Amino acid sequence: MAGFLIKRFLQAIFVVLCVTLLVAYAIRLTGDPALMLSQGAGSVTEADLARIRTGLGLDRPFYVQYLDFLLGLFTLDFGRSFLGGTPVRELIGRALPATLALAFASLLVSIVISIPLGIASATKRGRWPDQIIRVLSLIGLSFPNFWLAIMLVLVFSITLQWLPPSGMEGWQSFLMPALTMGIILTATNVRLVRTAMLETLQQQYVTVARAKGLSETIVLYKHALRNCAIPLITYLGIQFGGLLGGIVVVERVFNWPGLGTLAFQAVADRDYPVLQGVIVVLSLLIVVVNLIVDIAYGLVDPRIRTE
Amino acid sequence: MTRWNRALRGALLTSALALVSAAQAQTANTLTISSPQDPGSWDPIDTFLVNWSAVANNVFDGLVARTPDLKIIPALATEWTISDDGLTYRFTLREGVTFHNGEPFNADAVKFSFERLLGEEGDKGPQKSNYNVIQSVNVIDPKTVELKLSRPDPVLLTKLTGYGAMIVPPAYIAEKGDDYFNTHPVGTGPFSMTSYTARDAVQLKAYEGFWGDKPKLENVTFRFITEPSTALAELQSGRVDMVIPPSVPIGSLPTIEADPKLGIVSTAGATVYSLRFNTRDGITADPKVRKALVMAVDRATINEAILAGQAKPIASFQSEQTFGNDPSLEAIPFDTAGAQKLLDEAGVKPGATLQIDVRGNDSTFNEVAQAVASYLSTIGITATIKPYETNVLLNDIIPAGRTGAMWQQTWGAWTFDYDNTAYLMYHKGERWNPYGNDPKLDALLESQRGMTNREEREKVLHEIARYVADQALEMPLYNLNQIYAINKRVKNFIAPPDSRLRLTDVTVE
Repeated sequence: MAGFLIKRFLQAIFVVLCVTLLVAYAIRLTGDPALMLSQGAGSVTEADLARIRTGLGLDRPFYVQYLDFLLGLFTLDFGRSFLGGTPVRELIGRALPATLALAFASLLVSIVISIPLGIASATKRGRWPDQIIRVLSLIGLSFPNFWLAIMLVLVFSITLQWLPPSGMEGWQSFLMPALTMGIILTATNVRLVRTAMLETLQQQYVTVARAKGLSETIVLYKHALRNCAIPLITYLGIQFGGLLGGIVVVERVFNWPGLGTLAFQAVADRDYPVLQGVIVVLSLLIVVVNLIVDIAYGLVDPRIRTE
Repeated sequence: MTRWNRALRGALLTSALALVSAAQAQTANTLTISSPQDPGSWDPIDTFLVNWSAVANNVFDGLVARTPDLKIIPALATEWTISDDGLTYRFTLREGVTFHNGEPFNADAVKFSFERLLGEEGDKGPQKSNYNVIQSVNVIDPKTVELKLSRPDPVLLTKLTGYGAMIVPPAYIAEKGDDYFNTHPVGTGPFSMTSYTARDAVQLKAYEGFWGDKPKLENVTFRFITEPSTALAELQSGRVDMVIPPSVPIGSLPTIEADPKLGIVSTAGATVYSLRFNTRDGITADPKVRKALVMAVDRATINEAILAGQAKPIASFQSEQTFGNDPSLEAIPFDTAGAQKLLDEAGVKPGATLQIDVRGNDSTFNEVAQAVASYLSTIGITATIKPYETNVLLNDIIPAGRTGAMWQQTWGAWTFDYDNTAYLMYHKGERWNPYGNDPKLDALLESQRGMTNREEREKVLHEIARYVADQALEMPLYNLNQIYAINKRVKNFIAPPDSRLRLTDVTVE
């Protein structure tokens, strides 16, 4: 186990290094933050721009700026935002919990909907509940999440005025963003649960459980579902990465104070330190989640634990 | 299962009850405003964003102020004199004024503020270059200050009404430091900032010790909402009372007008739109061709059909209220046959192509560009529209001279002085003038900068506008209104043309 963890830790460092290098380089191709900051300022001279660049530390060679950023990471110092000088750590410290909360709420929505539907679809295979669920899942896969977000806002915030259209205040504000993200995930998860369940239900131990006279609920949810868990957990782990990507758009529509909104604005503002910081945190998050998934296998399946 | 069912039913019932109260009614005496961007720092010398002004104009005061009808009025200075050579400005300061932290306002605070702006601290920000002409600040006595200029600046007084010229508290900054001041600003304005959460919201509270008429509101909240459609949804759901420009696109006006709770307040602003020409290369290097292109487009119809009456046609690249605007200057008339004739004379064959660069996120202007392109097709010119990300167009494409034959130029001259536009657009080597090189125009532009006589200077500015129109350096399009969407419970709101909100008289029901 220790060897495994060390290996994964080294992998994580390598991934973060590659990602940050790529991002640090790429964002510098988007243009000059000094121009950005002085936009509209009367007559900006080259000397003014040079002055601002020096102030931001942009007059140093790229590798110096990058090494400086890496060294900062060891002390959890991500630098300061170009726009106003707020420490990036402070901005991320506020945005990360918001994003995580939304991500978990979305996963929860997806699990709560997809497991019963997937099981129903499998047990009623080929009959009308299965057909309906499969069509719904196809629809769920087909429409873009920003469109769903806008429709939800139109109905629940503007027409019915039940839910706040944006921001994060109280549990009501979680409903629409989590549902938007959750439904997209649900569409794939229902199919996954269905396939895994169909396979499991044909196993002999299911027949045995039924023969013992156990109730159908216990057979399905305790015996069969647990054995479907492995592909499901793997997939949820992979989904988490995609989820964090998709969250950028949904956060923007709902003005969610999370990492996505922060990153989006940082790109527009050419705010290098903020974007670099957000990317480091996001990539670490994905690495960590994958690690947790690997460990979780062992918890669900004792056979993997002993291997 | 029944236990679960009961629990579930209970939960659903409580949620339903909570939902009803979710769309909370706004409390009286609190105004909530949606602003599109967090400037990041509230220090006046750090920023040049219009959205900084929308908030900070309530927190800070300058020596002078500008009203919504663009008059310059006393603020922290009660009166002032300007020497005949335009090099000495003497201000008499208001007495009994305190900053929000209780610190007294006096001549030393003025000296400190300007020396900070023009010194090391100002070096880090974009504001300094606007006030370079100020050579020294002399305290004559505690209530008199003198600014000495290195050369006359006809718009200095206007510049003193905003941005970098705001007066800041010396003792507070010395004690707390500049970083702390960025996020905890203190000024002398009618509202003090009680809390600021970066990228999220700002809270203001009426300042008891304000020197002028007490604000009628108790609290003001600014929420930063980037997406115009999200801001509009917040307004429609009653959680926001006002959406400020540029977050109210023309396309959203029908939705707002259809809602009995909402209204639109608009005023002619400083923002003007044109399509500039590449005057160096290609077919648009020929003034005849440029004139033909301008002639071919029916700009009046575009204004009516696309801009919902929220814009005025312009003949030169400035708004009506701008100093230097010449009402007698007539735009090149719409004349398809005339345009065709000019093109033939210039030897441009039918089927010639050109590219129009626009800001991709400006949906209204994209429609305008489409209309322009279809007008150009009537004289045999095929125009393609190339949308860019705004920052890329502004910072990389235009200054580097990598535009198509035409490009979108949107400009808001916050000083409302044509010099602030014309010099930057047409003088050789300026950032917004990647192609032009005309010694005659340069000489005109330079000559008015040193003039202290208003009438003489205005005459030269008129001449510049005429020259530019004659050379058809651009296709002047329109002056767009500043559009504010408000909930009708907001009363006494006068839309400022420059986004500088001053919320002292506003009330909410």
